Amino acid sequence: MMDAFLFVGLPYLSLLLFVVGCIWRARREKFTLSARSSQFLEDRQLLFGSTPWHIGIGVVLLGHIMAGFLPKVWSSLLTVPGALLVVESVGVACSLLAIVGLSVLLVRRLTSGKVQAVTTPADLVVVGLLLAQVVVGLLSAVHYRYGAAWSTGTVVPYFWSLVKLEPDMTYVSGFPPLFKLHLTLAWVIILLVPFTRLIHLLALPLQYLWRSPILVLWNNARRRREAVVAVARAETRREFLKGAAGVAGAGGLLALGVMEKGVNYFRGPQPDPEVEAALLSKKLQRLQQTAEERELELERQRNEMILVARYSELTENKGKYFIDYAMAPALAFKDKDGLPLLISAKCTHLGCTVGSEVDSQGRILCPCHVSYFDLRTGRPNEGAPAKAPLRHIHWALVDSTGKVVARKAPGKPLEGTVDPATLAQCSVYIVKPRSNAA
Amino acid sequence: MKISFHFQWQWLSLAACLLPAALGAYPEYHAFVVKHSGRPINCAMCHRHPDGPDGAAPGQLGRLTPEAQERLGRARSAFEPGVKVDSPILNEFGNHMVQALGRKQLMELKMAPEQLAERLPADSDLDGDGIPNVREFLDGTHPLNRNDGHPWLLFRHNLSRNLTQIALTLAATAAGLWGLGHLLRGFASATQLKEEESEDS
Amino acid sequence: MNLLAFIQRAEAYLGERLPVHKLSYDAMVRKKEVPVHRLSWGYYLGGLALFFFAVQVVTGLMLLFYYQPTVSDAHASVEYITEHVPAGALVRNMHAWASSMMIAVVMVHLLTTFAMKAFARPRELTWVSGAVLLLVTFGLGFTGYLLPWHQIAVNATKIGLQSIEEVGAYLPGALSEWPRLIKETIQGEASVGQATLSRFFALHVVILPLTMVAVLVWHLLSVQLHGMSQGVDEPPKWKEKFFPTFFIKDLSVWGVAFMVLFVVALCLPFESFYAYPLFEPFDPKGSTPDGIKPEWYFYFVYYPLEILPFWVVLLLSLVAGVVLFLTPWIFRETSRRTLRLLAAAAALYLVVMTLFGEQIYRLFKG
Repeated sequence: MMDAFLFVGLPYLSLLLFVVGCIWRARREKFTLSARSSQFLEDRQLLFGSTPWHIGIGVVLLGHIMAGFLPKVWSSLLTVPGALLVVESVGVACSLLAIVGLSVLLVRRLTSGKVQAVTTPADLVVVGLLLAQVVVGLLSAVHYRYGAAWSTGTVVPYFWSLVKLEPDMTYVSGFPPLFKLHLTLAWVIILLVPFTRLIHLLALPLQYLWRSPILVLWNNARRRREAVVAVARAETRREFLKGAAGVAGAGGLLALGVMEKGVNYFRGPQPDPEVEAALLSKKLQRLQQTAEERELELERQRNEMILVARYSELTENKGKYFIDYAMAPALAFKDKDGLPLLISAKCTHLGCTVGSEVDSQGRILCPCHVSYFDLRTGRPNEGAPAKAPLRHIHWALVDSTGKVVARKAPGKPLEGTVDPATLAQCSVYIVKPRSNAA
Repeated sequence: MKISFHFQWQWLSLAACLLPAALGAYPEYHAFVVKHSGRPINCAMCHRHPDGPDGAAPGQLGRLTPEAQERLGRARSAFEPGVKVDSPILNEFGNHMVQALGRKQLMELKMAPEQLAERLPADSDLDGDGIPNVREFLDGTHPLNRNDGHPWLLFRHNLSRNLTQIALTLAATAAGLWGLGHLLRGFASATQLKEEESEDS
Repeated sequence: MNLLAFIQRAEAYLGERLPVHKLSYDAMVRKKEVPVHRLSWGYYLGGLALFFFAVQVVTGLMLLFYYQPTVSDAHASVEYITEHVPAGALVRNMHAWASSMMIAVVMVHLLTTFAMKAFARPRELTWVSGAVLLLVTFGLGFTGYLLPWHQIAVNATKIGLQSIEEVGAYLPGALSEWPRLIKETIQGEASVGQATLSRFFALHVVILPLTMVAVLVWHLLSVQLHGMSQGVDEPPKWKEKFFPTFFIKDLSVWGVAFMVLFVVALCLPFESFYAYPLFEPFDPKGSTPDGIKPEWYFYFVYYPLEILPFWVVLLLSLVAGVVLFLTPWIFRETSRRTLRLLAAAAALYLVVMTLFGEQIYRLFKG
């Protein structure tokens, strides 16, 4: 019952009185739309009270408004590592600042004679409530930490549920009493705005932020001379302040975002054992591939003949890839007359590997720039980018005992005889080319 | 005359040739994707090895351990959808297709490859790049590579994912430049002042 | 002319081209002014190229921490950076995109300085040093492209180097062997392999950057001493102060460039523009994938090579190279209007051949 009043009834009452009251006051008594400043009565304590109070509460309220009106942006901003800590620290620091300022103001109200003369009870109520609210808020922030994050899931939807006229106090009814006090005091303060000095919220001099500096035109020469220097000095100071603020802001953001990432980049990944194992096995695989390549190179250095395939594996239409003595790709086919046909598969145009499928016209295709090479002659088709033919490779047929049965060098006739009966048992080898062709 | 008997895996690949004929590449799918997307692809979209399952390199039929042969057998017999398989010649996308459709449908759809995209689960995105697998299949981009996809779709997805970082970087750059600009102006006006002062005096 | 007079004339020539007496704070900062006219936007391009170079150095150094220049590990190390190192994908993508942006800016810088006749006396040596920088930049692009050791890297490099060898067919007698020997010296072995990777790595990471910095020092010193050239025929009505006005605008251009680079590098992997088989590890024994091409900034010479006879392209390239280096003397009397037309024509050719080269090639080849 109490909850229903505090979190549904009171808010609507406050909002209603706030809206109606402010409109009334702005229309009927617009010259009272001020804080009735007492600066001309006592200004030293005011400086040390009002400035920290306003700066502190301004920052804290800004955080509340960001969370309230841009909850998605706010939440995603807080996902940046370190951002939450920064936001909360800034909030705590600023609320301490606000408390100090308010305390000074309260003391000033109670001890300065001149100021007492113009103080109304409402002023004291306001300063007391505000002080209580900020203290309670600070205590809530410290005891129920990281409110910047959890508020977007609780208080913010509660607030909007009120605005949308579908009040849902279940969002906040489970909160501890300290925080409920904070919420209640907030509604009370809003309620009091049209009736107290808090009405000066509607008279915020925001134009000061972009008002250009006032230019004074002096009518005597000495002042004019001094003015030139003074203007330049003031302008320099302004520029340096803006500059420092901009660079500090950028530096702060950089520190927040880049430092951590930079450190992590150089620290390197800290992978879990599974990922580490997968990486190592992939590395091992690649190393094995390189080792295989080196073995192939060594083999070509050492051996006079290298096995390509068993004769029975060769087909007429699909070539088998192998590495020739030049460590270049080559293809092995079975020719129409039954003999092996070995041809280089390194395209004579720009070195791409020629494909292994033979088309209906007895040609193999290099896919890079489309050259067709006739299998038997090795010549490229008319108009192909490749101009030179693929060279055929010196092969030898070796039977199961290791004896060379037949061999054929490119451009030379077949040596030896091929017996179809034993052909299936034979293996095809490539022969090491002589260093100078005879 | 030295002869080398180096390639021992040849015997394994020979054994592989004796296996049942319904194995090997699916050139109809390959041709469809190339035609539809205009991008050249290779067998690595669904298989482990870029040149397909035939051969003796890692990820191909000619180089399977007995344990892998067992997994292959189980995958081969998954004719109906719903069976989780781990074929050693297929990558995660290939295994996902076998699980989603079953081998029977995969073989039938060779005749109508466009329908493969319609039958696969529409919202599955195996590499997490914001582009569903079926879209990557039709675009000819690799469904298991986060950095491969239709450039515009990738850009849009990554932009929305990284909006906070971009906004903060923009804020830092803008604040830094603004501040630096004013610092320089302050320096300039100060030196001008000094010049004028020294000129005056 | 006797030796004494010759040396004295040479000294005077150099003195005018490198006015070191202007190396004073007053001349270089306090009093420097920049003309304001409709081609003033060109004045920012040199600085922008420098900015992108700085990005390349920083990201390159970061990549260097993890990259391994061996045939067995290169591709895996790049994959490691992209997949596992925190923010590695961003650093790598920034390096890739910034290289393209740098080359694009350098080309526009070339065209605008040409059009503004910034090579006119006494700035001839600035131009020549700029031409050297252009070659070093393209060299950096070419050598860097090989380092990831994937299909397109190795095959495109092979094709590029093959063009050197083909010059041999046009040389007489014993000279015809020289291009092949030169190519094999560049490669380090008979075909592109570990030796090539090692020396391309050395070139890309140390030799070319040092050369770049050395020539840049000359180039920048020259620019700062001479100041910004007039740019147009009419003496400028307005001049803005270099410090702080122009400098702040220059920095803002850098800021915008950085944001563009950052957003693009963060959200758009450069490899998504290519078919994925091109980025698989290079396999010398397997088949070559379709679509092997050099980087886009070579298209203006690659597609003509495909379409026209080799000797035509060779001749045109030689002429272009000579013209490039001797521009300050060839175009000494040429009016700025003509230069602008020539620059526009060159720009048109470059843009059309780069963007539509593939279509033009298909048109010709049917």
